[in-house]
Amino acid sequence: MKMIIGGAWQGQLIWAKENCPEVTDEQWIDGKTCELEAIFTCKGIYDFHEYVRRHMMTESLGLEGDHPVIFEKLAEEIIQRNPQIVIVSDEIGYGLVPVDAFERAYREQVGRVCTALAGFSEEVVRVVMGIGNHIKEK
Amino acid sequence: MLHVITGGSGSGKSAYAEAEAVRLSKAGNRNLKKYYIATMEPFGEETLRKIHRHREMRAGKGFKTVECYVDLAGKAAQLTGEMSGEGAVLESKDGRNERKSVILLECMSNLVANELYRPDGAGKRTAERILWGVKSLCEFCGNVVIVTNEVCSECTVDSVEMQEYKRVLSEINCSLARMADAVTEVVYGIPVEVKR
Repeated sequence: MKMIIGGAWQGQLIWAKENCPEVTDEQWIDGKTCELEAIFTCKGIYDFHEYVRRHMMTESLGLEGDHPVIFEKLAEEIIQRNPQIVIVSDEIGYGLVPVDAFERAYREQVGRVCTALAGFSEEVVRVVMGIGNHIKEK
Repeated sequence: MLHVITGGSGSGKSAYAEAEAVRLSKAGNRNLKKYYIATMEPFGEETLRKIHRHREMRAGKGFKTVECYVDLAGKAAQLTGEMSGEGAVLESKDGRNERKSVILLECMSNLVANELYRPDGAGKRTAERILWGVKSLCEFCGNVVIVTNEVCSECTVDSVEMQEYKRVLSEINCSLARMADAVTEVVYGIPVEVKR
């Protein structure tokens, strides 16, 4: 597993396309629009943070419910079923705590699920202004 | 030793900070007493769940939890008193006493909000009061690990209050980083060295 992360519009997908030849152009799926099941079979996904939002909405969990458990499960399932996946995501947790309860939960869950996936990944690359820095390497 | 740990929401910075505090307490075959200074006020369901989650994470690691919502220097003085009762001073080294404890303070972002907005808070003098408190902690308690928060990289439009909060927290973070022996940003559980 590889993760390519960074703030919004930092060029992480372009970096991934240039540096991850194991995923061809047609093999990338879009976290905003893909079928939720597709994450377990695809080679690469981008806008993974948007996938997490849709997953949370589809699960239609009560906001008082156990998000952490659900998201540990999502990370676990990706690790089990698709351990070779390349995941491209925005980092979204660097602002003030959102006033809206869903946004608050969403922001935290992206952090938790990405932390679990980064723990499993052999490589984690952080892209700033188009330049990738390995923060975790084999 | 002052180690400042920062990161975004859900980044794993707490887990890393706890591990660092435990490591410091055991360094050089010592077994230093560990204190956890909690700054989050238990208001409402969501906050209680958060506090509960952090308590579970710390369970069994041997931290003594003390609450501090405002006046960190006062808390440092209180802890010093408590520690000297327990013979906390290790030995004199170059005329300076080495302390037998590790303090983990979590989290600076809550402490700043408390000092800014609570009636007994420092208001406009928040940065000054907090930095004085951190200096007291370092002086009297020895090893200090502080968890803070990176809240200034987003695009939403802020109210005047939010801008002021960010400004004060950032001012404190910059000063802490200058004082610190080490600064680490935790990115999805991965420690990224900022200062060593």
